[in-house]
Amino acid sequence: MKDIIIKGSRDSYIIPSVNFNYRNGICELSGESFLEETAKFYSPLLEWIREYTTKVQKPIVFIFKLTYFNTSTSKCILDFLHILKKYEDNGGDVVVNWHYYEDDVDMQDDIEDYIIDTGIKINLFILD
Amino acid sequence: MASNEKNPMTNFNLYKYYISFNHDVQLSYKGPIDEHILSVISKYIEVILRKNPIASRKIFKIFIELAQNISYYSAEKNILTNDKEIGSGTIVLGELDEFYTFTTGNMVRDKDIIPIIEKCEYINSLDRDALRKYKREQRKKPSGPKGGAHIGLIQVALTSANPLDVEITSIDDEFSFFSIAVKVLKEI
Repeated sequence: MKDIIIKGSRDSYIIPSVNFNYRNGICELSGESFLEETAKFYSPLLEWIREYTTKVQKPIVFIFKLTYFNTSTSKCILDFLHILKKYEDNGGDVVVNWHYYEDDVDMQDDIEDYIIDTGIKINLFILD
Repeated sequence: MASNEKNPMTNFNLYKYYISFNHDVQLSYKGPIDEHILSVISKYIEVILRKNPIASRKIFKIFIELAQNISYYSAEKNILTNDKEIGSGTIVLGELDEFYTFTTGNMVRDKDIIPIIEKCEYINSLDRDALRKYKREQRKKPSGPKGGAHIGLIQVALTSANPLDVEITSIDDEFSFFSIAVKVLKEI
């Protein structure tokens, strides 16, 4: 497996930063996400997580530091969490951390909705 | 142009158009909505609302979803670069004492009106918890042809924390003008 490193940028669309590390299992998704073709951007990332959780099968720490994402992206986030939950149910070691701005009540609702939808545990942290 | 032909634009008075916007209007745009327009307007929204970061974040989220709906679904199309068809519409950001208003409008085919109205009325009938549940249910469904999650309007209602104010103006047998206005309170 190879690491995935994408530097976020904000041109016309907004690309999030991605840092998926297969050696230490730390995967971070940060910044903002509003893309022209959301599925095309996230498919390889989801495929990476699928491969890691079925072939590498080592502990994984998934860190969300997204401060904004549109509704198309919200669907892809749900896909990540489903894969991680399935891995955990099959005995995988999974930690999900989510960092958000303290005053962002809508984000707190979003995270809570993901917990309801997937049954996964998400640890909450306040962004500086 | 022959001198006896009347140019329809001579009936257009730019000053009357300009003063038709009162001082509450912070921003208005009419035309095709592609990613460049989205980017410029979203940056401008951040600038004019920087004194209120919570409301600014909400208006930005609402803007992206509603503007993208126009871009994808407006019945009025323009062809810009790469022969790509881009939907056209109108966007207005207003500021009143206690809240901001964000309004978008675009042409729709008459046959498409009823599902939009029904969806908005259903959204408005739900309280916040029921709306979140509805969003979770809709998000589980397969993506649409544009890769959307079918939850743009639900998210707009959740983000604004106010009802969707929807209006339809009939134009002719084929088209109507659809407008949707939402409020965002300044003090949240």
